[in-house]
Amino acid sequence: MTDRNDDLAAQSGAYALNALSPEERAAFEVHLAESGESRTETTELTDTAVALGLAVDPVTPPPALKANLMAMIAQTPQLPRVVGTADDSASTSATATPLAAAVTPTPQANAETNAAQPSATPAESKAQARWFTRPATALAAVAAAVALIVAGGVIADSISRASLQETSFASQQADQLAAINAAGDSQRLVSTVAGGATATFVWSAELSSSAVIVDGLEPLSSDQVYELWYIDSAGARPAGLMDASTDGPTWRVLDGEMAAGDVVGVTIEPKGGSDAPTTDPIVVFESA
Amino acid sequence: MLVVMSREADVSAFPEEPGASVASPQDLLERVATGDQAAFGALYDQLAPRVFGLVKRLLRDHSQSEEVTQEIFLEIWQTATRFDANKGAAVSWILTMAHRRTVDRVRASQSSRDRDVRIGIRDHNPEYDHVSETIEVRLEHERVEKAMSRLAELQRQAVSLAYYGGYSHSEVATMLSVPVGTVKTRLRDGMIRLRDEMGVAS
Repeated sequence: MTDRNDDLAAQSGAYALNALSPEERAAFEVHLAESGESRTETTELTDTAVALGLAVDPVTPPPALKANLMAMIAQTPQLPRVVGTADDSASTSATATPLAAAVTPTPQANAETNAAQPSATPAESKAQARWFTRPATALAAVAAAVALIVAGGVIADSISRASLQETSFASQQADQLAAINAAGDSQRLVSTVAGGATATFVWSAELSSSAVIVDGLEPLSSDQVYELWYIDSAGARPAGLMDASTDGPTWRVLDGEMAAGDVVGVTIEPKGGSDAPTTDPIVVFESA
Repeated sequence: MLVVMSREADVSAFPEEPGASVASPQDLLERVATGDQAAFGALYDQLAPRVFGLVKRLLRDHSQSEEVTQEIFLEIWQTATRFDANKGAAVSWILTMAHRRTVDRVRASQSSRDRDVRIGIRDHNPEYDHVSETIEVRLEHERVEKAMSRLAELQRQAVSLAYYGGYSHSEVATMLSVPVGTVKTRLRDGMIRLRDEMGVAS
């Protein structure tokens, strides 16, 4: 083991206690992907930290908090499940080279190699998987994309490249939405769309990112599409297209960067979208 | 004896007897992953006091603690689909995320932190200063306290400041006037000792 690895291995306690800086945390997670020994130790120390948390006296939050949350979850989509049998060995090998794996669909041969890896002990495989389940982070997005691709390699005959990309787009969108919601400065506005649907606009200035969520959005004819816009004094910038969802709320993270004070609008446009709005917006949000 | 960390213990801490109407956090979380909003409400009822208690311990500010608790539960809702019971207990998953998110917030409000670090450890109270209300919490509390008492003083201070204070290792180093490398080693040694004292194994 190199000195650098020894240095990293010594950070397991600080990692479990969330005492590392974001950069150190990221570097340590790369190290975890490479060292089974550190993974097992880190899992155990993380569980030890949970025991410290369970020793803290519970405090009942005010009832309004639950009421708020129940209203919010009714309008907040969940991350897509990671489809396929993304077993531990596949996840682990994928995270060792996350970028390469995420952009390059894993061919059949690699999927078989993954499956053929010697099986880890239960503690090891639990540890392998655990550190990696950091919710709603870029890592999770990569994991989801990778798992989809790995699963696609295994069942390549029954799943087309196009639908894989679609699912991976949805997963990316969901991760972005989760990031907006989790941002320290996340804000939201609720409005009613003509026709009675409820639209929620959620944004984070820190992330320069926003999303529109509509519950009960009317389906359009096949030659029309909903288009989102960022609007400022210079005019409207196209920010993506969406179709009404058939199950659950319709939502989309807007393309491009949101600037402070941008107004967001949704219009109905001809299929393929327009460069500038051609109809009056069905809903408008003023973020400032 | 109460073993908190194993999956069995997850169940023992939140008993689900045959015919009992209380579902375990794990069952609830798995239902939440299917979009079950009622299950989310029940999971919230069970764990919100735990999460809020921990968040408040770190942040102290009441309204910020409410905000962060809300963010944590929203994240639980969004990411329940990624929870896998084979990889650890539901309560561990939730409390680990709760601690991390709270520490993120602590670091984000850095100006007040700088003041805390300057004032130093004298004003930080790592003691367990509340009377626990339930037997379950009191047992966990006593178990942790007993294990903590086995640590060397520097280990105990470092672990307390990091976990209950949300301080980074470099802040802990400043507060304890020791090099950062020493703090890292103490945190690891201290956590390993606690693990062994409390019989935590994966």
